[in-house]
Parts: sequence; C-alpha cells; structure tokens
Amino acid sequence: MSYTISQLEKHYGSTPVLAGIDLAIPESAITVVLGPSGCGKTTLLNILAGLDHDYAGSIDGFADGRASYVFQEDRLLPWISARDNIAFVLRPSIEASQAQHLSWQALSSVGLDDQADSMPPAMSGGQRRRVALARAFAYPSDFLLLDEPFSSLDLKTRIAVMDLFVKIRAKDGRSAVVVTHDVREAIYLADRIAVLSERPARVLDVVDLSLDRSQRSYTSSAAVDLETRLYRSILS
Amino acid sequence: MARVDGLLALAVIVALWKLASIGIGADIILPAPERVLQTLARVATTARFASAFAATAGRGLAAFGISMAMGLALGLAGGASRRVEALMAPGLTIVRATPVLAVILLALIWFPAGVVPVFSAVVMAFPVVAADVAAGIRAADPRLMEMADSFGVSRRKALFQIRVPSAMPHVISAARNAVGLSWKVVVAGEVLSMPGHALGTGMQNARMALETAEVFAWAAAGVILCAISDAIFDRLARRIACHTQ
Repeated sequence: MSYTISQLEKHYGSTPVLAGIDLAIPESAITVVLGPSGCGKTTLLNILAGLDHDYAGSIDGFADGRASYVFQEDRLLPWISARDNIAFVLRPSIEASQAQHLSWQALSSVGLDDQADSMPPAMSGGQRRRVALARAFAYPSDFLLLDEPFSSLDLKTRIAVMDLFVKIRAKDGRSAVVVTHDVREAIYLADRIAVLSERPARVLDVVDLSLDRSQRSYTSSAAVDLETRLYRSILS
Repeated sequence: MARVDGLLALAVIVALWKLASIGIGADIILPAPERVLQTLARVATTARFASAFAATAGRGLAAFGISMAMGLALGLAGGASRRVEALMAPGLTIVRATPVLAVILLALIWFPAGVVPVFSAVVMAFPVVAADVAAGIRAADPRLMEMADSFGVSRRKALFQIRVPSAMPHVISAARNAVGLSWKVVVAGEVLSMPGHALGTGMQNARMALETAEVFAWAAAGVILCAISDAIFDRLARRIACHTQ
C-alpha cells in the first residue's frame, strides 16, 4: 500500500495551519515529520488518522486504511490493567480469551509480560509508554501514527523505548509516520525525514537516510552533517 | 485531624444548644442536650422504637434504591445522548421545582400511609441522581474518547468502558445526596402520613403530647441513620477515587 499526501491544506477559522503539504510516505518504513512546536504536526496526524475530516487536498492510502495512533500522552484507561487496555482496542469479533492472549503477546514483545495485570497508575512513565506502543502494534491497522511519542521520557528511557519501537516496527513491517520537534530523535528513528516550516506548515526539505542505525546514536558524530542540514532547513 | 475538628465542631454546637436552652429556660420550647440524650436512651430501649427505626430505615433504603435505579438509567441515557437529555429536561425541571410538601400532600391522596414517604422521597431524589450521573457521563476525558475513536472502538463500548467508569465519582456523590435527601423526605412524609411504625410517626405523636425532648430524640434517630449512610459513602468514595484517578 502506498501513501501520498497531496496539496493538503487546513484552516482553523481564517487561520491557515497546513499550507499545501506534499509528501510521499515510503512503504514499510519510518517517516519522521520534523517541525517546530505548534506548526501543525498533530493536526496533520489527526487528519491522517481520520479524526479530522475538515481539510482540502488528498491523503491517498490513509483514508482507506485503519490507523494505530500513539498519542503524546499514554491515554491508557487507569481503571483497567495493562493487558485489558490492549484488549480494549481489539476488534469485537475476537473472542475474549484470544484477545487476552494477543494482549499478553503484545506486552511480551515490549518486555512487559510480567506487568500484564498492573494498573497504569502503578507503572512508570517508560512502562506506560511501552504499553501504549504495544497497544498500537496489537491493533490490526494498516499503518502507525505516532505523535511525539517519546518526548515525555528521560534520555536513557527514551533511547531504550525508541530502540524497542524500531526493532518491533522492523519485524512488524507496517508504515509509520512519527512527528517530533527533536532533530536527534528524527535522525535516530527515520528512514525518511520531512522538515516542516513554522505555521502555516509546508514541507521545506525531504531527506532519505541511508545511515546505518549503529551510527545514529546520540553520542555518534557520523550524523553531524545531516544534523547540520536539518538545522539549516528548520532555521531557514 | 479532620476527625478532631469534626468533634470540636460538634462540641461547639452542643455548647451553643445548652446555652440557648438555659437562656430560654423552658424544656417545652428547647430541652437541654442531656435531657434529649436521656429521653433518647429511654425511647431507644422500647420495642416501638426498634420497629419504627427498622421501618423507616427500610423505607429510606427502598426510596434510595428506586431513586438510584431510575436516576442511573435516565442519567446514563441523558449523558450519552444530547437528544434524550433535551427530551428529559422539562420533566426533570418540573419535578425538581415542585415543593416537597406538595408532593407529600398529593401522595397522601393517592397512596396508603406506608407508601407516601417512599413515593415522595423517590420523586425528590431521582432527578438529583439523574442530573449528577448525566454530568459525570459527559465529563469523561475527551482525550480518552479520542483514543477510542482513533482505534475504531464502538460508541457502546466507549460508553461502558470509558464514560461509565469516569462517572463513578459523580455516581457516588449522587448516591450520597440521594440517600441524605431520602432520609429527610421519608421522615417528613411519615410525619404527615403517620404509618403504624415510623420515626416520623413517633415524632408527630411526641409533638401532639408536647413532649419536645422526645421530638428531638426521634429526630436524633433520623440523624443517626443519615450519619451511618454518610460514613459508608465516604469510605466508598475514597475506594472509587483510588481506582479512577
């Protein structure tokens, strides 16, 4: 399935938010949309997720498919266990026992099989984030949408959860769109980076990354040219 | 600390009551607190009191149960659908605005003495429950509702797994209001309808005999019922808060 965003425009009243976004999303890869805070990145994801229908332009591929959405906050139901939070989004046609098994498998894939019965308020921020990722992967969607999913985590936890995401996504194979304002995070995650301007957002630059993942660590200098290019695009 | 403050406030009320009774100097108008306590101790040991206490408690609980069932059903429907809420609004406003005495007097015409207090309490309490529950259902975190929407969760599933649990603190608050209102209206209904066994009947008989201390003693029994239900709901509210926050 190919995904293409063409001439996407969005206004809040008379204020333009997205000013003609054109972007091709490569299949089975991670596309990071990099842009300053408040430029309209979340608005873009909400449109792709089908939560916002009031826009002009086209989003080929997205409108026909189902999305797994990882929000900025965990958005877990605090009154049910981690396992039940995942079962909550599974299709009603799945039997309860199978839903429980799938949920446990999803938790196991993020290393939380021993926390299946824990309630979200009793879990750490990193654990809750992993449950949110497990929920997204467990949901039988066509693509993944992630809205600044790691920004609330400390650096060490962020790297651990990002590594987990990259590993599971590679195995899972679904296309993913991640939005962030963090250049290092974009380089760490992306197969393709689209740089957005200030509001009203338009695409300033598109970069395909061929850099090996082992050279993308926060302490590596291998990505410095790329980092400089992205900063120049953002500040242009 | 809160318990000490509560006891202190109670001591101040009793002291003011004592001072007022000394100032008035007539037991028939305002008996002293210790006189009321003695009368309560005497009345409470009689079989008449035990059956009256049990009957009033039964009526209060029946009124509370019916109010909660009706209020939850209407509140759930009204909270889930703006249209249903709009359809219910005029009826609930009329019921809420009707004076309790008007309801009791009409119930006296329509029902036997034992049913009057229950009917009146239900009419007064269920709109309170319905309004609180509807507000709770609508107060669910919109971010959780958006999450459910993004994953294609059905409205029905979202209602029962997000909106209803979110509304639990409101439901507890509604139940607490409803039970307090039920005791008050049930006793008021009993005072006017005078069923065979009732705290309200004891109060009315004592009033007719100008036994003011006994009126206070019967009223104190009603206060005790209310205090017990308050304590239960406080504990329940704390437990629910632990699960929903």
